[in-house]
Amino acid sequence: MLRFLGLVALGALIGGLAALAAVGFVAAVLWLNDLLLVSPRGRMMFAHPEALAIATVLVPTLGGLVVGLLHRATPERRPHTPADVIAAVQTRRGRLPVRAGVLSALSGLVSLGAGASVGQYGPLVHLGASLGSWGARLLRLDRSDDNITIACGVAAAIATAFNAPLAGIVFAHEVVLRHYALRAFAPVAAAAIVGHVIATNVLSRGALFHVADTVLPRPWEFAVFVLIGGLGALVAGAYMRSILGVGRLAERLPFSPSLRPAIAGALLGVTALWVPDILGMGQETLRFATIAGAFGGLELLVVLGLKLAATALCLGMGFGGGVFSPALVIGTLFGALCGTLVGGLGGAQDTFVFYAICGMVAVTAPVIGAPLTSLLIVFELTGNYALTTAALASVTLASPIAAQLFGRSLFDIQLAKRGLDLSAGRSRAVLQDARLHDLLSHDCVTLPPDQCVSEAVTRLSRSGHGEAHLVDAQGRYRSSVTLADLEAMREDGDGQRPVEECPSTPRPVLGPQASVWEAMRHLQEVTGEAIAVVDEAADGVFLGVVYETSIARAFLQHSDALRREEYGAG
Amino acid sequence: MRCAEKNMVRAERRRGAPVLAWVMALVLAMGMALCRPLPAAASPAALTVLSWGGAYERAQQRALFEPFTETTGIPVNVARYNGGLAALRRAVAEQDVPWDLIDMTRSEAMAACAEGLLEPLSSSLVAPAPDGTPPDEDFLPGAFGRCAITHSVFATVVAYRRDAFPGRRPTSIADLFDQRRFPGPRALQDTPAVNLEWALLAYGVPREELYRLLSTRRGLNLALKRLAGLEDLRWWQAGDTPSRLLAEGEVVMASGYNGRFFDAMVNRGLPIEILWDGQVQEHETWVIPRHAPHPEAARRFLRFATTTERQAELARYIPYGPSRQSAARQVSTHHDTGIDMRLHIPTHPLNAERAVTRDDDWYARTQERVGEYFHEYFR
Repeated sequence: MLRFLGLVALGALIGGLAALAAVGFVAAVLWLNDLLLVSPRGRMMFAHPEALAIATVLVPTLGGLVVGLLHRATPERRPHTPADVIAAVQTRRGRLPVRAGVLSALSGLVSLGAGASVGQYGPLVHLGASLGSWGARLLRLDRSDDNITIACGVAAAIATAFNAPLAGIVFAHEVVLRHYALRAFAPVAAAAIVGHVIATNVLSRGALFHVADTVLPRPWEFAVFVLIGGLGALVAGAYMRSILGVGRLAERLPFSPSLRPAIAGALLGVTALWVPDILGMGQETLRFATIAGAFGGLELLVVLGLKLAATALCLGMGFGGGVFSPALVIGTLFGALCGTLVGGLGGAQDTFVFYAICGMVAVTAPVIGAPLTSLLIVFELTGNYALTTAALASVTLASPIAAQLFGRSLFDIQLAKRGLDLSAGRSRAVLQDARLHDLLSHDCVTLPPDQCVSEAVTRLSRSGHGEAHLVDAQGRYRSSVTLADLEAMREDGDGQRPVEECPSTPRPVLGPQASVWEAMRHLQEVTGEAIAVVDEAADGVFLGVVYETSIARAFLQHSDALRREEYGAG
Repeated sequence: MRCAEKNMVRAERRRGAPVLAWVMALVLAMGMALCRPLPAAASPAALTVLSWGGAYERAQQRALFEPFTETTGIPVNVARYNGGLAALRRAVAEQDVPWDLIDMTRSEAMAACAEGLLEPLSSSLVAPAPDGTPPDEDFLPGAFGRCAITHSVFATVVAYRRDAFPGRRPTSIADLFDQRRFPGPRALQDTPAVNLEWALLAYGVPREELYRLLSTRRGLNLALKRLAGLEDLRWWQAGDTPSRLLAEGEVVMASGYNGRFFDAMVNRGLPIEILWDGQVQEHETWVIPRHAPHPEAARRFLRFATTTERQAELARYIPYGPSRQSAARQVSTHHDTGIDMRLHIPTHPLNAERAVTRDDDWYARTQERVGEYFHEYFR
């Protein structure tokens, strides 16, 4: 009980730290945007058009250069994102690295500050998660508690940045933890509340994207909202595919990876000379897209396409930053386009904002794989219940269609490309991530292939093992033989022949990096006491064996730990 | 212009005075040992204040200028202007500034300060509150600029004729643009300021986002489009025009300064009502122009006029919110009619619920470009 209360207090503490970090991050981005002539306000207050044009191209380019240099210092040569947080929690690895955390936050700050078309919530989520994980490590807490503190940091970051505590709590559960446990709920809620209090009282901020009272949509319009959801899933798919596609293309470019963001920055800056709407997070564009008549129909299409392309370019070429804010803008523009079309066909103009918000949810929910969070964000951001119900209609189709066609979220797609498949749930992810080398045993019988059968039988009987592994003079694994087969050969009078002539059924072997999951799969095909571990990369060198019993024990241990984490009450 | 010339002549005359006094003092000092300070030295030159005229000037006259002359013996002359920096710019360039003190909006003060037209001022110039609270804590946030000290907060609001819309009354600033429900001609000030803000508010834009959106071409065009959509629109320039237009029935809704509307309502019985929704609050400041003829006397006046007592007194004549919290607490009833002034000052919590605070920094740097764009659009 006391320990649980301590965890809740720790959650609140981490929430406070993450909230302050989020506040500082957001303020620094705004300050940089004003200073570097990225924000419309900063640009408007700067009276020299020629210098402004030069800055528009130069700032993202130099920002890209700095980002590229920052990434050279991370082991993976890329900024860490919420996907890394999800992977750490889903595999119960936890322990987010300090260095990559700091560098990723810096990279996000520079990218956003210099006007790259990226989001700020990704870096904030990662920063919050890192703070949580560092806290758990400082206090030497176990992996389950590490996961909870990570979730606390995430919830507080979202609660503060959006001023949306409910969305923060649900996001931490829906996207990061992916299970619901009371043991995790209380600390996460505490963190979100602290974040909310800091956002409202210290910053004295109200709803971030307030939408005034609106008229209620007509019944038939809800059918249109559902349809917008379906189409929005396709826009979300195009958005995710573009980001990944540019990433693949970038690999083939003849430039060093550190230079790629600078090239993207230069392209972005030149385009922004004509369409400044694509610079930065695009909060002004977001607002305009909810106002009927602010954009022409064709203009909406152009800005939508350019914003999508700019974001894919920036993220694919290696700027640090999130995918959420651009998705908000793209989705809202898409919704506004639908609203303009419906208006053009004789529909009502007084419900225009509903279309914009439906588009927004339809695109963002599939991208982050979080329909509930998106709904709550709409509710808490706009403070408008009627809008939330319309968004619900839209998200109904958007999330499942996108999940069927593209994947659960952009994070899941990225992780799958890195070899972590989360589509079959957490238990599989944990087992896939658990490595075999801890289970490796050298307590086994190895025989040279030319040893005679009768000597082999004697050695095996004395050692108390039922099978032996044939390893040649170079240490390479050949095959495995059972005591029963050897005995049968001796009975047949072949006792003086070499063991390599003993018939044996071909058996699978495991690599040194194999996971518990892989071993469990092989167990279905193997009858024997252990599976040989062979390093295929080093010309088939025999490393030892893994006993079936230890695989089963490892499986049970991991399953138990998961069960305790997910169903434990405290 | 005529006014400036007159002041110039007066300034010439004043410059001669101290020399004469010196000669006389020398002669008298040589002649008579038991001599008191001379009347010539004791009656100092008059202070010239540039202010906005009308009801506002009358209130300043009674609450500030007359008591100042009574206390110090320094007479105060008042010149009148409608805002703008052109005349000041010319006067400073010619090193011939006829004014000692200017009552200026904060945004213009910021721009003028950046151009080097004003003397720097420090918060140590003003007196602490009666209970000893230092000025930095007593004044509103942002009251002390580099060259300007806020003395009151006024608001530009919409007023409408009570008899214009039988059975309904405007409650939101969007109603200014709704000529279907509230038919009739409007009068607005011939400047982008306030009008652009109201136009965007009418689209449902939250007040926190106004200046960010107005910083884009898209936002400006959107606002101008809404303004251009108004039928029978009259533009006004001088602050007393809107209440005159309302009184004559030329328009049914007009923008204007809340103090002027109050004056028309209370002192002249005009049947109008103020719509507080979307009021745009602005700081009104005292500044001392560079090359002012009597900067020392101007500083003395500034200290006098910004005391808690004088600020509270001014609010008994005209409903502008005092910039000192100690003075805001002392605001009482109207001097002549006994009306509770607290309900009429723009900073009262009931009136300020949906108030917009003008982004003076933004205007200081964009005024001319936005102004050009605005006038180009409505040419």
